[in-house]
Amino acid sequence: MIRIRDLTFFYADSTTPALDGIDLDIGDGEFVLLTGPSGSGKSSLCRCLNGLIPHFYGGRLGGAVEVQGWRTDQHSTAEMATKVGMVFQDPENQLVTTEVEREVAFGLENLGLPRQVIARRVEEALDTLSIAHLRERPVSELSGGEKQKVAIASALALHPEVLALDEPTSELDPKSAEEVLSAVQRLNDELGITVILVEHRMERVAHLADRLLVFRQGRVVCDGKPREVLAKDDLSALGVGVPPVARLARSLNHSGSGLLTVPLTVKEGRMALAGLFKKASPSQRNREVRTADKPVVEIRNLWHAYPAGTTALRGVSLDIHGGEFLAIMGRNSSGKTTLARHINGLLKPTRGSVKVNGADTAKLTTAQLARQVGFVFQNPNDHLFAETVEEELSFAPRNLGFSEGETRSRVESALKQFGLEAYRRQYPRSLSGGEKQRVALASVLVVQPQILVLDEPTRGMEHGLKSRLMEFLRDYRSKGNTVVLISHDVETVAEYADRVALLSEGRVVVDGDKRSVLSHALLFSPQINRLAQAFAAYGAPGDILTVDEALELLR
Amino acid sequence: MIAYRNKNTAIHKLSPVPKLAWVAGIVVLSLLFDSPLYLALLFLVTLPIVAAAQVWREWASYLKLALFLGALVIVINSLINYHGAHVLVEAPFTVPGLGRPQVTLEAIISGIGNSLRLLATISAFSILTLTIHPDDLMQVLVKLKLPYKSVLVTSISTRFVPVLAADAARIVEVQQSRGLELGGGGLRQRIRNRTAVIIPLLANSLDRSVQVAEAMEARAFGSGRPRSNFKALEMLPLDVAALCMALAALGLGVLIRVLGQGAFRYFPAAGGPALDATAVYMLLGLLLLLASVWPVALLKRKLQLD
Repeated sequence: MIRIRDLTFFYADSTTPALDGIDLDIGDGEFVLLTGPSGSGKSSLCRCLNGLIPHFYGGRLGGAVEVQGWRTDQHSTAEMATKVGMVFQDPENQLVTTEVEREVAFGLENLGLPRQVIARRVEEALDTLSIAHLRERPVSELSGGEKQKVAIASALALHPEVLALDEPTSELDPKSAEEVLSAVQRLNDELGITVILVEHRMERVAHLADRLLVFRQGRVVCDGKPREVLAKDDLSALGVGVPPVARLARSLNHSGSGLLTVPLTVKEGRMALAGLFKKASPSQRNREVRTADKPVVEIRNLWHAYPAGTTALRGVSLDIHGGEFLAIMGRNSSGKTTLARHINGLLKPTRGSVKVNGADTAKLTTAQLARQVGFVFQNPNDHLFAETVEEELSFAPRNLGFSEGETRSRVESALKQFGLEAYRRQYPRSLSGGEKQRVALASVLVVQPQILVLDEPTRGMEHGLKSRLMEFLRDYRSKGNTVVLISHDVETVAEYADRVALLSEGRVVVDGDKRSVLSHALLFSPQINRLAQAFAAYGAPGDILTVDEALELLR
Repeated sequence: MIAYRNKNTAIHKLSPVPKLAWVAGIVVLSLLFDSPLYLALLFLVTLPIVAAAQVWREWASYLKLALFLGALVIVINSLINYHGAHVLVEAPFTVPGLGRPQVTLEAIISGIGNSLRLLATISAFSILTLTIHPDDLMQVLVKLKLPYKSVLVTSISTRFVPVLAADAARIVEVQQSRGLELGGGGLRQRIRNRTAVIIPLLANSLDRSVQVAEAMEARAFGSGRPRSNFKALEMLPLDVAALCMALAALGLGVLIRVLGQGAFRYFPAAGGPALDATAVYMLLGLLLLLASVWPVALLKRKLQLD
């Protein structure tokens, strides 16, 4: 039993509360989902549960948190560790030893337990997460998903009654994320461990949870069964990504079609919407067909082998046309990232050629290509180094030899375009997550390249930020520029891209209009398409991808 | 990557305690001995162990560094050390305060002696880092009463070396994509360019260290109770035997030095005590004791497999 009373917390350097008068009871064995924009208090709440607040993070604390009868302000974090296990976002930063088995044993050693007890608990924990085969592997050789499972096993070995997971999947690809989440679900189902999970991607987890809490500015603004909370209309405004099937059902409810419950999964959606789909008469839809401009990037029989010996690309040929929005998808290590790094010359072809606006990238440096190709990496923290936002933005134009006046005018227009004028003299790294993302993007786009490559920019991003970024890309593209987006996020791609290339083992296996690539697939189809596939026999078009398209059909 | 990998050889299977004693023995003796012959033999005796542990490739990258440093020592020593009776080259001018620069045979020989010392030490240390699991090493060091927290910090740093390398590579890519040319420009430009890589790297590492600390606390680090160890530092009889031989080698080496052997005088004329029969026998005994760690390790693995 977790009992939270009037919990308020200010971080040491802050005048706005991170948590603002929270009252909450969580019963034993509950699976509670926390969501909401970043900085809304989800992580802070997790830190309160195991005493990291107030013992590790200084600040002003008011109210009380009690877990299984222990007040967190009266017990140290080390003591609380036996009540509340915690798993963090970055798998890399929570493993401290070099070997899996020792990692799981670390907490038990800290408690000074006898060797036989440690051995037994390590065994149990490895088995529970089905990672006994990793036992002697060096931590550095594990995949992100495996690392996260090791982190969960390490927390579990201390026999906590509560497991708090702070965005455990946001650094993972969808398949690993799925594996980690089903492991968490099993712990909840079979061992009855209370689970507190912070997560942005509702479509992955909403159906697993008993309860959904939506945070905003340090307060809990919605609290209830996921189905009920997601049925509310104002969730997108709160920055919560509602799963597409739920969004579809809600819109239909709203327009008076009279569904009773909101479905959370494709399966539920198929059952709930069967009647409507069968009645719907597909109208002849006009799909705009875009005439292809001349290619701005020409990739011919591209091979790439890394010095260590792995061949990442095996004969890729691809034309990217001006004004196109191309999404490159594929599972981990399928060659997406390697391919993208050839477009701005970070990597050079081992065989074959890459031409940008007719110029061979093998003969140009990345810096020389930077005027034409902008490249945005996933983590804005890797971009930012300057003292002020202004300086950060002038870095690229100066590097490219723009005159001082030209640089200044480019920086000004970028500040305006990205709404950063108010921050121009601030230290970029101390801005919020969304603002940093904007500065990083602006620092690349300030030189106005016609081609923009983004390497998984939305991974781990909250819903609100993601939609803003994608709207920006849509706008940038509409000015005749080209966007190449590497992404695992099927729903986002379905909504915004117009062409998809699917990579596997270093080859392009499918390349075409998003409708042909993303429909009729299993994992690489968006929810709405998987929903509609069931009704193909009744004439439902097999190539609808988004909620709006489904609404158009069903109305 | 120059880091520990479990290659499952007999050397890897040997307990870390005798290996640590063995490496310590080589290092101490290479500091005690001055004779180039003795130092060369100390270096040579590490080679069979490197071969047995199948770490040639990793060892070679350590050795490259050692050879470079060694060459540097020889060159610098011969250029600035003007003692020695046999002058090979003499400069036609004088430097105020130093006299006439000259290169002497003795200076070169003493440079060679010091380089051999460096080679032996680095080769021995490479065996330590390449065949002892860092966490095992940490456990032994804690047993030896080194403060746990300092040892842990060292061990965590090794854990994050590959992570840091990956971070650095990524940030270089990020800044190159923003038009950074790493090679060119004047000094000021270069410093500026490095800042664009180093600041994010440092700042990210700081963030990382807070997160690691947080994760450790969440796993009961600093509980106030005495730590226990999951893995026992098991010493089988043959490990003890290997330890005894390593210690005996150290003892014998000290004895040799006390008896005046292994010494060497570089200046003004190079020369050491004559090698009499006793000295040769003692030296052979020392090498035998040091080399015996290999057969003992082989025997241990054989017994374990049976």
